[in-house]
Amino acid sequence: MMSPTRLAGMLIPAMAFLSCLRPESWEPCVQVVPNITYKCMELNLDKIPNNIPTSTKKLDLSFNPLRHLGSHSFSNFPELEVLDLSRCEIRIIEDDAYQGLNHLSILILTGNPIQRLFPGAFSGLSSLQKLVAVETNLQSLEGFPIGHLKTLKELNVAHNLIHSFKLPEYFSNMPNLEYLDLSNNKIQNIYHEDLQVLHQMPLLNLSLDLSLNPLYFIQPGAFKEIKLHELTLRSNFNSTDVMKTCIQGLAGLKIHQLVLGEFKNERNLESFDKSLLEGLCNLTIEKFRIAYFDYPSKDTIDLFNCLVNVSTISLVHLPLNRPRYLPKNLRWQRLEMVKCDIEEFPKWELDSLKEFVLTASKGVSTFTEMKLESLEFLDLSRNGMSFKGCCSHSHLGTTRLKHLDLSFNDIITMSSNFLGLEELEYLDFQHSNLKQASDFSVFLSLRNLRYLDISYTHTQVVFQGIFDGLVSLQVLKMAGNSFQNNFLPNIFKDLTNLTILDLSRCQLEQVSKVAFGSLPKLQLINMSHNNLLSLDTLPYEPLLSLQILDCSFNRIVASKEREQQRFPSNLVSLNLTQNDFACVCEHQNFLQWVKDHRQLLVEVEQMVCTKPLDMQGMPMLSFRNATCQRSKTIISVSVFTVLMVSLVAVLVYKFYFHLMLLAGCKKHSRGESTYDAFVIYSSQDEDWVRNELVKNLEEGVPPFQLCLHYRDFIPGVAIAANIIQEGFYKSRKVIVVVSQHFIQSRWCIFEYEIAQTWQFLSSRAGIIFIVLQKLEKSLLRQQVELYRLLSRNTYLEWEDSVLGRHIFWRRLRKALLDGKPWSPEGTADTENS
Amino acid sequence: MKGFTAALLVGSLLSLSRSSNKAWPPHTVCRDGNLEVLYQSCDPLQDFGFSVDQCSKHLKPNLNVRFGIILREDIKELFLDVALFNKGSPILNFSYPICEEDLPKFSFCGRRKGEQIYFAGPVNNPGFEILQGEYQVLLELYNENHFTVACANATIICS
Repeated sequence: MMSPTRLAGMLIPAMAFLSCLRPESWEPCVQVVPNITYKCMELNLDKIPNNIPTSTKKLDLSFNPLRHLGSHSFSNFPELEVLDLSRCEIRIIEDDAYQGLNHLSILILTGNPIQRLFPGAFSGLSSLQKLVAVETNLQSLEGFPIGHLKTLKELNVAHNLIHSFKLPEYFSNMPNLEYLDLSNNKIQNIYHEDLQVLHQMPLLNLSLDLSLNPLYFIQPGAFKEIKLHELTLRSNFNSTDVMKTCIQGLAGLKIHQLVLGEFKNERNLESFDKSLLEGLCNLTIEKFRIAYFDYPSKDTIDLFNCLVNVSTISLVHLPLNRPRYLPKNLRWQRLEMVKCDIEEFPKWELDSLKEFVLTASKGVSTFTEMKLESLEFLDLSRNGMSFKGCCSHSHLGTTRLKHLDLSFNDIITMSSNFLGLEELEYLDFQHSNLKQASDFSVFLSLRNLRYLDISYTHTQVVFQGIFDGLVSLQVLKMAGNSFQNNFLPNIFKDLTNLTILDLSRCQLEQVSKVAFGSLPKLQLINMSHNNLLSLDTLPYEPLLSLQILDCSFNRIVASKEREQQRFPSNLVSLNLTQNDFACVCEHQNFLQWVKDHRQLLVEVEQMVCTKPLDMQGMPMLSFRNATCQRSKTIISVSVFTVLMVSLVAVLVYKFYFHLMLLAGCKKHSRGESTYDAFVIYSSQDEDWVRNELVKNLEEGVPPFQLCLHYRDFIPGVAIAANIIQEGFYKSRKVIVVVSQHFIQSRWCIFEYEIAQTWQFLSSRAGIIFIVLQKLEKSLLRQQVELYRLLSRNTYLEWEDSVLGRHIFWRRLRKALLDGKPWSPEGTADTENS
Repeated sequence: MKGFTAALLVGSLLSLSRSSNKAWPPHTVCRDGNLEVLYQSCDPLQDFGFSVDQCSKHLKPNLNVRFGIILREDIKELFLDVALFNKGSPILNFSYPICEEDLPKFSFCGRRKGEQIYFAGPVNNPGFEILQGEYQVLLELYNENHFTVACANATIICS
């Protein structure tokens, strides 16, 4: 049994170890910007952490159960500018809780169930510009102790329990107040006195959001002679009648922007008709916006009767069906229709209209000619419309157009080259289906165009003059199109002002060397997602201003062989990621180039090899030149070895006999014999014997000593005795030079016969036949014995050719060496004896 | 005794690692004879509640759903990514903007971090019949800064 003290002794270190495992428990906040921004979101802190630097400017303490803010809670952070206390379960904020935060400009208290706010809760805060007290159980603005916040610009008290719209007196202290969000409260009635403060201290820049309040009554004249910047009333009215009277209650208001409407999920009205907006005739409105009144209506014409003098009108998600006629003498300058389902393209004549936006509408299938003479800005994007003819003055009815957006539509047939639209500066066709765009110089007359987007327009560039005339163009986007033969020719001849060019996803395989030859100002090219197989720098060389080149997502294996990667000197970013690089020694130079230019390359660590298999997925930077050197070494070593071996073989062959001499005995010995061989020949063949045999055998290597009768026979001794004594007795071998003369010579035959006998008696092998010339068979038959021998034994045949001679002498030397006492011991023995 | 101490040590270590890597419990959206829909929050920060008023393999258009969450991020803009898988292979993938900054569609758009959202209403879905099989749906809501607002791994079992 273990004693409690021992147990404690074990547990305490264990606990200490555990606490060391989580050092962050002591310092839990995330340091976003050192000494400036700290994020302590959702860390279960019940008090303000004290280990955060005092220089902190942005502090996020959201989702911590702080519950109670005592006075001077944040005195440690005098530099604080942004304080986020969202959902900190704060119920009580005491006096001077934020005292000392003289630089605080944003205070967020969202989602705190505040029950008690001390009167001096927000004291200090001399620079506060934005106070967010959304969902804080706030009952009224009157009791909200913020009267001294003179610098306040934005007050967000949405999603509270405020019943009264009474704008408190202290607003007169807040000359900078620009935004008051009272949406999603409980305000039902607005009375004249509620806005009294705005009469005393007009807040001309104030934007007021009253959406989602269950408005029931607005006292007529409450807004009389009040000027506001913006008023938003969305999903406020329970019925059309209420809405009608409330809007009438707004009479006298002068407002820059009025927003009416509903939210899709907060629908209250039962229907929508022209009478609803009748009250607007008594307002002065600059911009009018209406959103999500999603009710079918028939009399859209009359809807705008009270909006004749508005300069900007925007309609979002308002079904207009067949808006054939609009009231006369409209002074609208900008009309915006977003997601308004209309059945046919409107044929309005609005002389004043300068900007017209009709986007994301369903139901219009075809564009019809329009006549808006003052139009400068036209956005017809995202309608899925088809254009049977495009584009000229006659189609659009204006000559002042500067901005034309026809993107995300259906088929657009390019039937004319922008005749009468020479003012155009911006043109967007992306994701529409352009027809005949590459048949002629479509953009020839657009000398002022700065921006052109024909991305994903199913255009196949066949005609090289497609962009002729675009002398001012700065941005050209043509991603997702295609080129004839997947080859990029020089189609940019006139675009001398181009700075940005997007050619991504064009299935390009090759780029002409002169493709970018006339683009001195080009700074960015996007060539990504094409099918380029190699990195060819030649086309980019003339681009002196090029800074960014993106060749990612191609199939680049390496740069072109043996080519220097010379990019313009201004290039700062080159993206080559997601290509099919081959990390093989063949492209060693390119791989080395990649390593040397890693500063230039984007995400160079992400550039991986796809070939060879064993390098697949490995970073290109991991390729080592040493591997190439190693294989080079292997190749050179093996070549050298082969050469050496063959050289040695040749040498061994050539100096075979020298080697035999060296290996066998330093000084070869004839043993007991004086001569190596006794030569039997006919005197008729003496020439051959002297010039060939003697010369080759006695002067060659190894030197043989021959016994020759003319030289070695002792004079005064009988020929027969000489033959036996000097010839056979002192020689190891006998060379028989067989020739015509040999057979005819008696002496020769005699010598030969003795040799045979001698061979038999001394049991020495060793008659070597040399047939000097072809023998006549009949002659040979006379010497029966010789004939038999020659037909049975191997003999040497003299051949008067280089190769024949060579073989002859080798064979002869070998035969002469045979039976010679080669071993050093043998030599020693002989020498001793 | 030594064994006990060791067990205590190991146990505390395990509980530490588990607390740092908790998974949210799976919830049932609905369970009917033929159809069972389950989901699990895949946002490490929070779980959320979701239910549908109808549970049938003949999916009706404009389903009424209920959805509640406490926001961890502002949602000036909100996007929904839906990915549908069957046996691990993707079938359907789409992205849909729910909140746009200018004149948003829904009343919860523009709400702030710390604020509560409760949405009860129809969603704009087409009606179709769910084919027999087991499907995985990955739903992700994210804001303009690409911070996850909510994330769910749902499983639909249709028999």
